[in-house]
Amino acid sequence: MLWRSPFSTLPLAWKAPLLAAALVIAVALVVSKVVLDRLQSDQDAALRDLTGAYMDGVSASVLPATVRGDVWEAFDALDRARGRYSGLKVNYSVVADTSDRIIAASDPFRFPVLTDLPAGVAREFPKGNGLVMEDGKGLAWASRTLAEEGVAVGRILTEIDVSDLLRVRGQVLWTLIAVNATLAFGFAVVGWYAIKRMLRPLSVVGEHIERVRAGDMQPITGPESRRVSPEFERLFRHFNAMARAVNEREALTSRIAAQERYALIGKLASAMAHEVNNPLGGLFNALDTMKRHGDDPKVREPTLDLLGRGLTHIRNIVGSTLITHRGAAPGRSLKAVDLDDLRLLVEPEAARKRITLDWINDVSGVVEVDAEAVRQATLNLLINACAASRTGGTVRLRAFLAERSLVVGVGDQGPGLPQAIEKFLLLAPDESTTLEGGLGLWVVRRLVKDAGGTITIRRRSGFATIVRIAWPIGDVESEPAGAIAAEETLHV
Amino acid sequence: MPGETARGDGVGPILFPRRAVLRGGLGAAVAVATGPARAADEVSIGVNPLFLDSDIQLLASLRDYLAQRLGRPVQLVKRRTYQEITAMLLSGQLDAAWICDCPYVQNQDRLALLATPIFRGEPHYQTYVAVGPRAEANSFDDIGGTVHAFSDPDSTSGYLVTRYLLAVKRTTPAQFFRASFFTYGHRNVVRAVASGLAESGSIDGYVYDVLAVREPGLVAPVRVVYKSEKLGFPPIVGLQSAGDQKLQQAIARAFLDMAATPSGRQLLATLNLDGFTASEPELYRGTLEKWLVVKAQS
Repeated sequence: MLWRSPFSTLPLAWKAPLLAAALVIAVALVVSKVVLDRLQSDQDAALRDLTGAYMDGVSASVLPATVRGDVWEAFDALDRARGRYSGLKVNYSVVADTSDRIIAASDPFRFPVLTDLPAGVAREFPKGNGLVMEDGKGLAWASRTLAEEGVAVGRILTEIDVSDLLRVRGQVLWTLIAVNATLAFGFAVVGWYAIKRMLRPLSVVGEHIERVRAGDMQPITGPESRRVSPEFERLFRHFNAMARAVNEREALTSRIAAQERYALIGKLASAMAHEVNNPLGGLFNALDTMKRHGDDPKVREPTLDLLGRGLTHIRNIVGSTLITHRGAAPGRSLKAVDLDDLRLLVEPEAARKRITLDWINDVSGVVEVDAEAVRQATLNLLINACAASRTGGTVRLRAFLAERSLVVGVGDQGPGLPQAIEKFLLLAPDESTTLEGGLGLWVVRRLVKDAGGTITIRRRSGFATIVRIAWPIGDVESEPAGAIAAEETLHV
Repeated sequence: MPGETARGDGVGPILFPRRAVLRGGLGAAVAVATGPARAADEVSIGVNPLFLDSDIQLLASLRDYLAQRLGRPVQLVKRRTYQEITAMLLSGQLDAAWICDCPYVQNQDRLALLATPIFRGEPHYQTYVAVGPRAEANSFDDIGGTVHAFSDPDSTSGYLVTRYLLAVKRTTPAQFFRASFFTYGHRNVVRAVASGLAESGSIDGYVYDVLAVREPGLVAPVRVVYKSEKLGFPPIVGLQSAGDQKLQQAIARAFLDMAATPSGRQLLATLNLDGFTASEPELYRGTLEKWLVVKAQS
């Protein structure tokens, strides 16, 4: 697994200002380094120049005194040099002969005249001419050889307090830190505000997309769509075009669904007419028989029975059609007969293709599911199965109660469900998934989704497809089958 | 004696005789009021360093006063050492000079006393021996083994008196002190002792007292452990054999009358003197005796 930095998951409104601050800090670090290095080299150069000037001046004035070993002249020269070199804080200066015996010092109490220079002090100073600095102590030590006609006669040793230079460096460092921290913070705040403002149109799009999830596809109009950058204007335009297309498709789908329903109703009507017509010949025969032999009780009784059964059959067919298409009371619970009625509706179609209906309905009692939704979905599946089945095949229905659900499975021996339809049925209830062709399965999916049920598709020996729907028991919605059932009720 | 070489304790560097070095031309380099050419009627008067190394303002006031009194341009000639002024006077290059009493007694036979300053009511001053802030000495005897600062080899207070005290003890500066050196100025002795460069020093009592008022900060670290008897104050002298005796008298008169004029009194106030008086060689007997003792030792 690839490691993802926590930074990559931060919102853009944080990322950009943090990046700006980081850039400022990076630049500040580089600039500070350059400035401090430059300052240090300048200070070093200035210190060397100043020390050089001091040493030049003092050595010129103490050289004759050193040659003569003149204590007063040497001291007087050192004493007069004191304070004449502004910017150079001399702690002490010592004029010593070649054997490091002190001729004079600016601080005679510390370096008494005509005593040996303490070894610890002598060690601090460079040999010959030079300057060494120790930042930790804030001190520098300069040494200058005094020579007359090329012969060394002594040297001047000067300790310089460089703590001022170090303090200036410290002040510059803190100034840089303060200025750069302020800049970084400023850039971060400005960046955060600017990015937040710039990204505001994205949240508008986000809100509209969120409303689409709730089924409300609205184009972006109003004040938030104006005065945005060209990129977001384009995005809004595309979103609005998409919103219009989706709305148009929804309307079209509804119209097609209605047309499909008309076709279904036509089919059912013709089937019903056929069913009604079937016993009619027999019934008319029975009527004639009654006219002619109605007085004969032996003929009358069976004829009346035949008439009764024929009429009952017709009533059942008509009744079941009415129940299916007019709908009973909304949210009505389901009984076994509600499913068995469907057999009467499918039988004509089945008979036409000599399809055997393998019908096992184990439902008993009253089941707390939306009867109309179950009936409509099951009828669609059955009609689909019949349509898919070859002539002389078998269509199977299994209905039983499982734990907390009513399971209705419909199987056929057709060529199997196309991949697209199977995906359409199984995939998460994503409205954007389209279904090419018939609306029957689209209706099924919609009904199952509304009822909170689940669809599974299996293949079992002898059957190409078994579509099984589990309807949850107990939470029958108050508005059954949504708008579709209501519309159908109107159209029938 | 004036040419004596002051030595360290035998280990330290040799302090060279000033006379030999300065005759080489160093003297010209430290001259303050030398003009490139001398006007025909210009009066030349030599002065030893007083309080500061230069005393420029003081000398300007003195020059203006004398010029006004004499009615002639005056040049005040200043050299680094007493010896140079004495030499210039004796060789006739100066019309008069304000010199130390020591060179006066050395050349008493050739010099004429023109005027002697009056300090605190009398023509006397003292020699002080002082020590630095960290010294524990309380008397002259206690300063043995210290680094000692002298003023000038021809100075009474800055050298002769101390040298005399040591001669009486049958010792010399080289033996008595750890080291000694000359600073060529009474004020420099105070500076050397105050800064710790020297642990003890021989100082002109008059200069010391004036500095104590003018620069109390400079004098504060210095403690006087010995005061000599009173000696004749350094006089204004001329050559006995001077050709222009009228000029000598006029110069003497200018000094003696100083307290009588406003500008003179202002000058005296600056000098911390009461005035000038005529004096006899007898005034300088004490100095002469000391010099003779020292001369006899060397």
